[in-house]
Amino acid sequence: MVEVNILVGVIAVFCAVLALVMLFAKEALTCALSLLGILLGTAALYAVMGEHFVATIQLVVYAGAIMVLFVFSIMLLNVQKTGDDFKVGTPRFALAAVAGLALLGVGGWVILDFVPNFGGEWTPETVAQLGGNTRVLSHALFSRHFVAFEAVSLALIVALVGAVTLAKRKLN
Amino acid sequence: MSAVALPQLLALFLFVVGMLIVLVRRNTIVLLLGVELMLNAANLSLVSFSNNMGMIDGQIQVFFVITIAAAESAVGLSILVNLYRNFGSVRTDRARTLQG
Repeated sequence: MVEVNILVGVIAVFCAVLALVMLFAKEALTCALSLLGILLGTAALYAVMGEHFVATIQLVVYAGAIMVLFVFSIMLLNVQKTGDDFKVGTPRFALAAVAGLALLGVGGWVILDFVPNFGGEWTPETVAQLGGNTRVLSHALFSRHFVAFEAVSLALIVALVGAVTLAKRKLN
Repeated sequence: MSAVALPQLLALFLFVVGMLIVLVRRNTIVLLLGVELMLNAANLSLVSFSNNMGMIDGQIQVFFVITIAAAESAVGLSILVNLYRNFGSVRTDRARTLQG
């Protein structure tokens, strides 16, 4: 258990550093690649927790498809010429930093005060007995959440058609 | 510190950094990246809670969130391409046609 906690801590530090790189980097491509690192780290965290299905989805959809879209757009628009006039000392940054620190303080206080006392039915032993994480999840997905699954697939196809239409449209 | 605390603290930190990116950056692509970071932080929080509490509903929720995030980034990036065509830049302070 201690080794698992150390592993989680290492991944957490990795993700936190990359998030700060993302906040302060000038180039959009640096931000995109840092986000890719964070997504890979999050997938590793899911895998450490034993949630293999979500870890795979995270790798394939998030770190694969969505990041390819972002990197493709950055290269298509060639944005490194436009620059970014973001400066650390401005009032705008100070205000945002104060808001962020306040949220961090309140949230951290709530989390450290929180004691999980909800013993659900899906313990790791039960899940393993029923044939693993993926099987349990897909069973729930195609029985109890079936309507939501179909609605989301409809939303996805509508969004993709809309994206193609928007990108093709000629404006003057 | 309970076992659930470390992933939750990381999720909180990632969310706050994503919020700061959306608030202070002016490059629209980086803004969208910040939105993705916040979504990812919320996903991490949901998975960690559902893992610690012996429930699977959080992971079902994450499945749906990831799907909607894919749709959102596709639409957002195509809007971004249009923005670039219209204003010749992806900076937010160039797109101020509505500002009187």
